[in-house]
Amino acid sequence: MGSVTGGFTSESPLHPAAREILIEAIDRGWADPSKIHQPSRELALLLEESKTLIAGHLKVEAGSLHFLGERNLGYLLGISGLRSPATESTLFYPTTSRSEVIAIAEADRLASAISVDLDGSFICPVGGEDDLLAAAATNVETGAYSPDLSNFQGRIFIDATADPLASLPARFSSALWESSSWSGPQGLSIFSLQERQSWRNPLPHLDHEIVPGGFNPALAIASAVAFDAYVKDWNSRASSTLILNECLRSFISDEIGDVDIASPKTGAPHFLSFSFLYVDAQQLVDRMSRLGFDLDSGSACTSANLEPSHVLAAMGRLTHGNVRVRLHSGLTKNDLLEMLTALKIVVEDLRSNR
Amino acid sequence: MIDLNCMGERCPLPIIHLAQLIRDTPNFAKPCTITLLSDDTATWPDLQAWSRMTGYEVHKIDELTFEILAK
Repeated sequence: MGSVTGGFTSESPLHPAAREILIEAIDRGWADPSKIHQPSRELALLLEESKTLIAGHLKVEAGSLHFLGERNLGYLLGISGLRSPATESTLFYPTTSRSEVIAIAEADRLASAISVDLDGSFICPVGGEDDLLAAAATNVETGAYSPDLSNFQGRIFIDATADPLASLPARFSSALWESSSWSGPQGLSIFSLQERQSWRNPLPHLDHEIVPGGFNPALAIASAVAFDAYVKDWNSRASSTLILNECLRSFISDEIGDVDIASPKTGAPHFLSFSFLYVDAQQLVDRMSRLGFDLDSGSACTSANLEPSHVLAAMGRLTHGNVRVRLHSGLTKNDLLEMLTALKIVVEDLRSNR
Repeated sequence: MIDLNCMGERCPLPIIHLAQLIRDTPNFAKPCTITLLSDDTATWPDLQAWSRMTGYEVHKIDELTFEILAK
């Protein structure tokens, strides 16, 4: 049953190794790491080690990384902080960007939305050196990878919050990751600033700090441990996840039918988004949950604002009857087939009642 | 020309009612069209996806009016 892995939703339980460290770190990590007392120095050292470990997995310089307590602040620092004062400069962003990015773009003086194709891919603009491109390394709903961005002449912000192991462009100015994407604790993000000289703090500030303080040191220490475990686990399960992905695709196409699969085959294999024609997603998610299978959905009837997923709409994919499945560590083919068999029964039942 | 009023209905009802109407109209053939009225924000994106999946041609007349052409 889904409960073994925490279900098929995007959230996953904290890695057991990280949980153990987290409890220990709460006991040890109470000091202020910026002070000079012995406990503060010890904690500062521990945080540096954690940062170095995380930087190694992200393949970026540890010196460019900053822990951040509030993820959405990272979008403001990474995007608004790199906007050029040149009045003609443009902020480019794909229409499948996270809503936080779209909100910043809509408040920007000159923003240009890049339309995407059925796979969520887009033609990278060339831009000028003062322009900024905000793009996701991996789309949080569909798992679609970003196309090659090397043609872009300006600055680049990478939203890597969905998938920490997606490859990054050879050159970027700033990037954002989220600890929970590697089964680390929630409430911690990692911000990287690669181009300090072209960045200006968009927040009211009196000092030269790049990020405001206010992160929990215990979360940062546990996050590094979780990342280590996640990378080892991913290396051993990457190929089996691809097999599970293919199994799911063929089952929903051949055994259920009338399904629009939004996730491209070339995307991250643990992400799958698909929509069943003539099915009410709220009823589908509710019925599946009662059978013990927790699923996410991007359909309007399941969202707080009753708007359909802007990602699906931008891609030209069916927005009703949508289901999002995350293939977590520990999931077996039998677990998956059990969920798919239930899905088939529920979809057929909902369709027969229309 | 057939009218289908789905005002006030939320997704996926407009698309379900459209498919039911086509199924229940055996003589839905060229040059016959269906005019669908809907105020649900998901209707236009879903009509376009439905068109790609089923082969029916669809047009947006205005914010609330959509036209479906017989195959």
